[in-house]
Amino acid sequence: MFDEKDVILEAKHITRKFPASGGRTLTACSDVSLKLYKGKTLGLVGESGCGKSTFMRFLVSLDTPTEGEIFFHGKNITQLKGEELRQNRQYIQMVFQDPSASFNPKMKIRDIICEPLMNFKRIKASEKDAVARKFLEMVDLPGEFADRYPHNMSGGQRQRVAIARAIALEPEIIVMDEATCALDVSVQKTIIELVVGLQKQKNISIGFIAHDLGLIQSFAHQIAVMYLGTIVEVLPGEEISTSAMHPYTQALLGAVFDLNMDFSKKIESIESEAPSPLDVPPGCPFQNRCDRCMEICREKRPALIDVAKGHQVACHLYT
Amino acid sequence: MAMLELKDVTISYKNVPAVQNVNLSLEEGEICSIVGESGSGKTTVIRAVLGLLAGGGKVTKGDILFDGETLLTRSGEEWRKLRGTKISMIFQDSGAMMNPTRKIGDCFVEYIRTHENISKKDAWEKGVKMLENMRLPNGDNVMRSYPFQLSGGMRQRVGIAMGMTYQPKLLLADEPTSALDVTTQAQIIRQFMELREEYGTSIIMVTHNLGVAAYMSDYIVVMKDGIIEDEGTRDYILKGTRKEYTKTLLDAVPSLGGVRYV
Repeated sequence: MFDEKDVILEAKHITRKFPASGGRTLTACSDVSLKLYKGKTLGLVGESGCGKSTFMRFLVSLDTPTEGEIFFHGKNITQLKGEELRQNRQYIQMVFQDPSASFNPKMKIRDIICEPLMNFKRIKASEKDAVARKFLEMVDLPGEFADRYPHNMSGGQRQRVAIARAIALEPEIIVMDEATCALDVSVQKTIIELVVGLQKQKNISIGFIAHDLGLIQSFAHQIAVMYLGTIVEVLPGEEISTSAMHPYTQALLGAVFDLNMDFSKKIESIESEAPSPLDVPPGCPFQNRCDRCMEICREKRPALIDVAKGHQVACHLYT
Repeated sequence: MAMLELKDVTISYKNVPAVQNVNLSLEEGEICSIVGESGSGKTTVIRAVLGLLAGGGKVTKGDILFDGETLLTRSGEEWRKLRGTKISMIFQDSGAMMNPTRKIGDCFVEYIRTHENISKKDAWEKGVKMLENMRLPNGDNVMRSYPFQLSGGMRQRVGIAMGMTYQPKLLLADEPTSALDVTTQAQIIRQFMELREEYGTSIIMVTHNLGVAAYMSDYIVVMKDGIIEDEGTRDYILKGTRKEYTKTLLDAVPSLGGVRYV
């Protein structure tokens, strides 16, 4: 399913450090390596503050890593500057979490959707109306919405416009940062169906950030679980509920409220909270919350190793 | 007699009805969830119970009874006696209900001393004890922190600790976990369940997470456009309902090992 020649984007050993007060450094991502495949979805899950958004921002060149490189079609895109960087943005687009904050409130939907096309001179101003209608219909909205302003629309409709804007340039990759978590479940479902439909139609790769495992497993081909800046497990999407191995992934699965669960069962959840990324303990980052913590976990950081095809885990239990 | 009873309640904002003809009754120790999409009026219902309707909202029809007495004709002084001691509320973001320029302890002591005539020192100790009961280790430290220094989960626990100080008979929770991570959400939900076991607290929980509602509740109310669309015991809602709307909602909940689109 995951063929090496289908790798469209590869992040190698990405580390990002932010300077913090008192001369300390905050390590948001440490040594993250992930691959995006043509036409496939990579789901990135983890708690808030684990560095998943920081990582995804590198893919869209909104930020540059302290160490490590990102290769898009074999070309290093981390050091791009000026016009070259601008041109590169056509291929990787983003949909943000809050659709109302990512639009200019004084622009009509027509201008919002066509702005990226105009920037790259793909269309003439006289074609805007027709193009906007075409894209609105592609995301199942009536063409008349082109004349509306963002505040005239509901959250779900706005998110559809955000998707229309992202696909307007026909990008190869779309990054979605919790694109559905501000929406009602019923709306969320229709958005996911739309995204999956567009992906099949245009063979787009998607990087999707979420914290809902139930949601992510419904459409991700590949799931990466992140904890405190490191990737602890990567596995194929359909296997998450059956063959997750890392104690943290299992803890996340235990915290999912599911309609088919056994309601008399007590909730199993890990106690306490993640340590601050300002002082990550040596050894395994998950050690203080793990119920199977061993001597070695406190000393040595486990490396990500292959345990099955397409399944990697970073835990001393499996070395 | 039911502890809380809403009889045919209609609530209007500026004469435009937002919630219509709601009937609901809650027994002691019962957990009821109100679910629905945004704008369906679920928050309005529980805010009306505590007389906290925002923006000139008013109960225009029907009656709300708590322990057999109406809540609608209460004066300011009577409300003060009830709020926090018999009925408490927990908000979506407890951090937002606290004064950002004051320490947790400062607010908590003031809160306790409003309800009870005790010294500052005793109030402080009571606060620390409540925080520790709510599984906040090192309560003294928390009392000395500002709200922004705590994580979302910790702030929510402080909110629950404050709400539970006087062991109210009824706890109203307005989306108490929707701003939290899944692991923290599980911890908080477990805490709610323990409240009922320990103190016999009745809970009305407003949520849009049907998984959480199903796990916690004895009774589930589904609201749509300001009216109760469907209601019943958990088993009825999950398995026996005939309403299309409820089915669509249930269907939309992503579940592990459920539908896959790819």
